[in-house]
Amino acid sequence: MNCNEIRERMPDLVLGMDAATPELHQHLQTCRECAARMAEVRQTMVLLDEWAAPEPSPYFDVRLRARLREEAASAPAGWMQWFRKPALAVSLAVLMVASVTFFRGGNDGRSGNVPEVLAIAEPGSAVGDLQNLDKNHELLYSDFDVLDELQVQPEVNQNP
Amino acid sequence: MASEPFFSKPVVPSEQGTSQPKIEGPEAQLSASSGVVSHMSSLAVERDVLGMGAMAGLNGEAAGPGSDAEVMLRVKAGDDGAFDYLVQKYRRAMVSFMYRTAHSSAIAEDLAQEVFLRVYRSRETYEASAKFTTWLYRIATNLAVNYTRDTRHERPENTVSLDEPDENSGQTPDVADGTPTAEEAILQRERLAAIRQRVQALPERQRLAVLMHKYQHMDYRQIAEVLKLSESATKSLLFRAYETLRVQLKEFL
Ligand SMILES: [Zn+2]
Repeated sequence: MNCNEIRERMPDLVLGMDAATPELHQHLQTCRECAARMAEVRQTMVLLDEWAAPEPSPYFDVRLRARLREEAASAPAGWMQWFRKPALAVSLAVLMVASVTFFRGGNDGRSGNVPEVLAIAEPGSAVGDLQNLDKNHELLYSDFDVLDELQVQPEVNQNP
Repeated sequence: MASEPFFSKPVVPSEQGTSQPKIEGPEAQLSASSGVVSHMSSLAVERDVLGMGAMAGLNGEAAGPGSDAEVMLRVKAGDDGAFDYLVQKYRRAMVSFMYRTAHSSAIAEDLAQEVFLRVYRSRETYEASAKFTTWLYRIATNLAVNYTRDTRHERPENTVSLDEPDENSGQTPDVADGTPTAEEAILQRERLAAIRQRVQALPERQRLAVLMHKYQHMDYRQIAEVLKLSESATKSLLFRAYETLRVQLKEFL
């Protein structure tokens, strides 16, 4: 067990999430640097404890309940929210334009118009997106994508 | 969607016997979370490291009986009481997690509520493939990341030390410690400001990892799952974060 291995374990040791082995104890008794580092890590953890967080306020539940109700009440109109997604808004717009064109085309009496219009509505994105939304996943997906992006960043190497 | 008001009934999740219906203090969670902290080494700090009572990450493995995942499956099945149970169990952890991101208790509560709203909205597609807390913290970290990005320009680092001295539970920390002198109070406030500033200035994933490890008492494995990293990457992420904090906060040690 070398110094680096031990230092990596120090946060967990100090937080009580890892148990010190006899070997580790022995190292700390013989290695001054590690012993000093250990003391500092411990002090750092104690210092970090000063940053206390507040308890949830008495209004937390009330407020959450209200927000849930609000959402439940507006659920029938929930489809409006889809317009917040640009891709969907475009898809739906295409669908609407297509519909209008379709009906106009129908009034025209020109039969050749119909397949063309269907082809516009077809791109499938609107329908496909709507189906996806049925799964109700989108709320999470958008955010996970953000997190995924983060992981691509080579931030790991920024701190020597 | 059930029409009954939420939180209306006192809830006991199935016939488990292990998990606590309500987390009032750290002790409850400690006992519920078997093993992980049972062997406090002789090196462990004497201090109450579990003081925040946010051991949220440590119980509810997979979807076994009485697990949180199982409770969540009941939410999925339409049991709003089960949802209430999860809110009661994790609201404290969520508020504290968000507080250290948002740094204002009002915003922290908003964000924590948003976490639960998202949990509720997603109930129908919930799959108990991971621990409930992993899923919960993914939602929370996503929100935290978005919040930080959206407000980055509003929070220049040098304003951090000036705000809300009495943000914690309505009373100043100074008062809680008896009657420190004015100088002591100033020093204490400076220390606190430095801690916040240094933690919040960490690279994003390091910051999230520290919040989960130090303040939510989650282990490497679970943090790795939340952040979708390997365990060793998480370990080194945390090591670097703590090294940075140790060096940057040295004057206060
Ligand atoms: Zn050494």
